Amino acid sequence: MRLTPRDRLVLFAPVAVLLTGWLVLPALIGLFETFTTYAPFGATVRFSGLANYADVLRDREFGAAVRNIAVFTVVAVPLELGVGFALAYLLRRPIRGRRLWQVLLLVPWLISPIANGVMWHFLFGSATGIMDFVMGWVGHPDIPSPIGNAGLALPITIAVEVWRMAPFVTFLLLPGLLSIPTERWEDATLNGAPWIRRVLDVALPSLRPLLLAITMLLIGLTLGTFDGVLILTGGGPGTSTVTPALYSYRRAFGVNDWPTGAASAWLIAAGVFGAGLVYMRALRTGQSA
Amino acid sequence: MSGLRSQRRRDGAIRAILLTAALTVFTLPLVWTALAAVGLRANNNTRPPSWIGSPTLDHFRDVGIAEPSFWQELATSTVSAALAAALTVAASLPAAYGLARSHFRGDRLLTQGFLVLASLPAMAYVIPLSDLMRRSQLVDTFAGLVLTEAAVTTPLAIYVLHGAMTQLPDDWEEAAWLDGAGLLRVIGQIVVPLAAPNIAATAIILFVLDWNLLLVPLVLTAGQIKTVPLAMIDFFTFERELEWPTAAAALIISLVPVALLVMVFHRVLDRFALNVAQVD
Repeated sequence: MRLTPRDRLVLFAPVAVLLTGWLVLPALIGLFETFTTYAPFGATVRFSGLANYADVLRDREFGAAVRNIAVFTVVAVPLELGVGFALAYLLRRPIRGRRLWQVLLLVPWLISPIANGVMWHFLFGSATGIMDFVMGWVGHPDIPSPIGNAGLALPITIAVEVWRMAPFVTFLLLPGLLSIPTERWEDATLNGAPWIRRVLDVALPSLRPLLLAITMLLIGLTLGTFDGVLILTGGGPGTSTVTPALYSYRRAFGVNDWPTGAASAWLIAAGVFGAGLVYMRALRTGQSA
Repeated sequence: MSGLRSQRRRDGAIRAILLTAALTVFTLPLVWTALAAVGLRANNNTRPPSWIGSPTLDHFRDVGIAEPSFWQELATSTVSAALAAALTVAASLPAAYGLARSHFRGDRLLTQGFLVLASLPAMAYVIPLSDLMRRSQLVDTFAGLVLTEAAVTTPLAIYVLHGAMTQLPDDWEEAAWLDGAGLLRVIGQIVVPLAAPNIAATAIILFVLDWNLLLVPLVLTAGQIKTVPLAMIDFFTFERELEWPTAAAALIISLVPVALLVMVFHRVLDRFALNVAQVD
């Protein structure tokens, strides 16, 4: 309130430099390049209009990637929110050793997606993994790793990602859940409302802005899924788990087709910005209501 | 009344059972990995499956044999993540403060814009960024890695710290301004101490995020600078598949620094709140 223009300059300059230099400028240069034939070591650059986008959109593999990521987002994000919320709800009331529960339940999120891929690869592998261990006790013969099965690879990848991200949702939700005034819970409890009503009438309305913010983050992260599949499935079998980010990476750095790599990357960005618009609008309708 | 009490007790028991089940699902894969790392493996070739091996720390040594520079990569990861987290906080805190204390048209929109930016996957800008870094001679340098990691996590840091700033009581600040304190003194002597737990929580989460980044180091380095996630990829290529116990040991080593950090500072971590600014 007493900030002078000079104060503002001091406050915002570091962030402005960091974000302009490393985020905004590259993104805009990249956007410009998608309309050209630019390549890092190429000699000539010609304007090519929308040709790169047409190439990407015509590519069957990109189509598969879009379909995969749509399934991934529609399934994984609600599951992460649901499981994350359920865990936070269970931890809401005082329980002995709550902090220990909280810390232990956050551990899956601490593993890098790459390490996670390595871990689950082995856990599904037959010689020493969990899956065959359990199956062996039940009496089933060795079953091949579901990662190598075109029909199961995507569901398994989604399950592994939910396993890793749901704890983070719990971590983000729990402080919000704990900050809901006790009277609101008590009103619902005295009225004899079942737990589902407490969730729907007390928890969800109070947490609406927080849930929206978490959903925004999860959608963005999911649309950019890259390291989660790189080791676990490598996009395969075939194209059954390929994602737009993986496609984009392979275009730019694998086959050195720079402009289509950047173009497909910008299509991901467009998806995230679209989600961002919906998010902003949802936030505003919540406020006026 | 006694009906209510017995219902309470029943609810408590159900909760304990559900939590135990959840904890099993979420930690069993890691326990399995930790056991393999210390030499205890399942043998699924027998019927029923059995356990083989005896406790040993040899697999941790094997990591250094399979990847001779692993310990150096661990150091690179630690130092770069710590520096990047510190840089992000140092740059984001003033901006978050300025944003929280200024009122202009569209200020909320701008704040929420940072969340959208934080949700933007690195893939969206990393291709041209790698080219830009190559041209500015920052590719495959430690400075380039730290600066990029810092920039990538800045939008999230601004968003979270902005929430913390709006929660601060402003009467102390007000008094300091009236005493004629300058901007830096207000921030250094009032804002930072008051928001210290929030700042610490943010820094820890940023460290974890930086520690686990893959795409940024992947495209910005060419062998000179290597972080642990990059080493993990090398561990696991189709030409060279590591033994499971060695991979498990590497995995556990990569998890220990962040797990320790979270355990030691678990008390401040609930201060990492996503959008308190919105809750009125």
